[in-house]
Amino acid sequence: MTSLQLKAEVEDFLYREARLADEFQLDEWEALLTDDFHYWVPAGRLEGDPSEQLAYLNDNRARVATRIRQLKTGKRLSQLPFSPMRRMISNIEVVDQGDDTISVKANFVIYEIAAQSTGELRIWPGQAQYRLRRVDGSLRMSSKWVELVTAELGQRNLTFLI
Amino acid sequence: MGINYGQLVRGDRIHASLLHDPEAFADEMERIFVNGWVFVGHESEIKEHGDWVTRQLGTESVIMVRESDESVKVLANRCSHRGTALCWEQRGNNSFFQCTYHNWRFGLDGSVRAIPFPDGYDTPKEDLGLDAAKRLETHRGFVFVNLDGSAGPLADHLGAAGYELIDRLCDLSPTGEIDLSKGWIAHRVQSNWKLWPESDSDGYHVGFVHASMSETTDTYYDEVAVGGDAVRRSRAVDYGNGHIELDWRPSYQRQLAWLGITRDKVESYCEALTERDGTESAEQMLWDGPPHAFLFPNLFLGELVIAIVEPVGPGEMIHRHTSVQFEGVSEDFNRRLLRQTEAAVGPASFITSDDAITAERIQAGISGTQRSWADQDRGWIDLSRGLHREQIDETGARSSDASDETTNRGFWHRYLEIMTEQV
Repeated sequence: MTSLQLKAEVEDFLYREARLADEFQLDEWEALLTDDFHYWVPAGRLEGDPSEQLAYLNDNRARVATRIRQLKTGKRLSQLPFSPMRRMISNIEVVDQGDDTISVKANFVIYEIAAQSTGELRIWPGQAQYRLRRVDGSLRMSSKWVELVTAELGQRNLTFLI
Repeated sequence: MGINYGQLVRGDRIHASLLHDPEAFADEMERIFVNGWVFVGHESEIKEHGDWVTRQLGTESVIMVRESDESVKVLANRCSHRGTALCWEQRGNNSFFQCTYHNWRFGLDGSVRAIPFPDGYDTPKEDLGLDAAKRLETHRGFVFVNLDGSAGPLADHLGAAGYELIDRLCDLSPTGEIDLSKGWIAHRVQSNWKLWPESDSDGYHVGFVHASMSETTDTYYDEVAVGGDAVRRSRAVDYGNGHIELDWRPSYQRQLAWLGITRDKVESYCEALTERDGTESAEQMLWDGPPHAFLFPNLFLGELVIAIVEPVGPGEMIHRHTSVQFEGVSEDFNRRLLRQTEAAVGPASFITSDDAITAERIQAGISGTQRSWADQDRGWIDLSRGLHREQIDETGARSSDASDETTNRGFWHRYLEIMTEQV
């Protein structure tokens, strides 16, 4: 049984993570990550060993730092300007609690404007699976795995933080 | 009245209307993708009897299937009865294909196996099979087809250079075999398909479109394509028939630069090449690496990435890629190739996502141009860079500075030949 207090803390974390990503507050978003963070968006379901698959995105901590540095150059054409975007998060479930790790699943829908080229509205539905860990008293994210509903269909540019 | 391609494709420029005109698109799907040779896939994707994958060749959906241990077939994904698609997933394994409309059943070779209530038909069964590619040839596992059988042999299309480019990649595998079965990732781009053969082989844009990448991380593209004296040694090459290469080989500053790794990390790999081909050849291969080349009209040999250009409509395409995996190397080695592919290519990558935006911006820029403007000096795209300094070697290949538009011109030269061929 998840305590209401824990649930509220998890929700606060996810909403904050979502808002920082939507607003391209890149340093603040990066500060939410643990040193062993793993970021994964497969071209199918969240199944199997990520290291054996070809994914849309499979970042260890060093590569996600590179991703953020690239966004901050001001020369990243596919995010010049940053996409205006907002995401809704719902169906939040704490699915597992270990001594120091909390596993959470949540559904999301992102509404993004492709402001860099066509200006069309792009909609990104999916589920995110997070592993959260308490570091120095506050929650950090040690993994974010994202399963897109459209995973097998291919994607348009996905250069924001999903 | 058809399109006058000779008026729209010149030696030093092309008319932008060709990048969005629906009539040109329809002509291309027929003349390039049905009447000519196109790349379909790789035999390693269908290892077992009955393995199949679906693929899009222009506007035609096909099934590539392992019919028997030796034989690969490419069939139209379309029931010969009423046209229903037979496969709607990307891959599978079956001992036959069955249509869900009237349960017609076809063998893996496309022949009719069973028709419910067959007494309703006078037509001989052998006339009711699936449409199949009339010509199919493979090289090092790369499967090419000519759907209507009207093209000459594959060798006439690929030429010596096409074979050499594929060999140069495959020879880097210790067994000589590569595997392309890690699955394909589709990058959907709102641009004309012809912008990608050009982008994939354009050496001029790298330092600009990809500046954010080279500022962020150390990459071998800095030494072969972005700046400095070394870049001046890379070459843009047009081998003829639309096959083109950005030849980085003269610019690499060390062995295995193309793998982003030093030799001590992959000593057993280097030894395997030496054992197979001798020290001299192996040492040279470790310098040279895989080609960065485009084989007309739809196959990108992107070093350790293979991509297919799939036209969808005049302003819509898919760039579909997979990672090359070598046989006879460690798991770590192949995992490295997967991670390298994810960094370089695809919707979330550090490199080709910026090419996709560039292609979409070109599409936005040219979408209003009209064919009739050609003789009013309006709506042209300039491709003249480096025309005055091209060199032609004894094989007829043209080459120039890597930043020159020799590759782009090579693509369009072949395009013009095909679009104006007398059928």
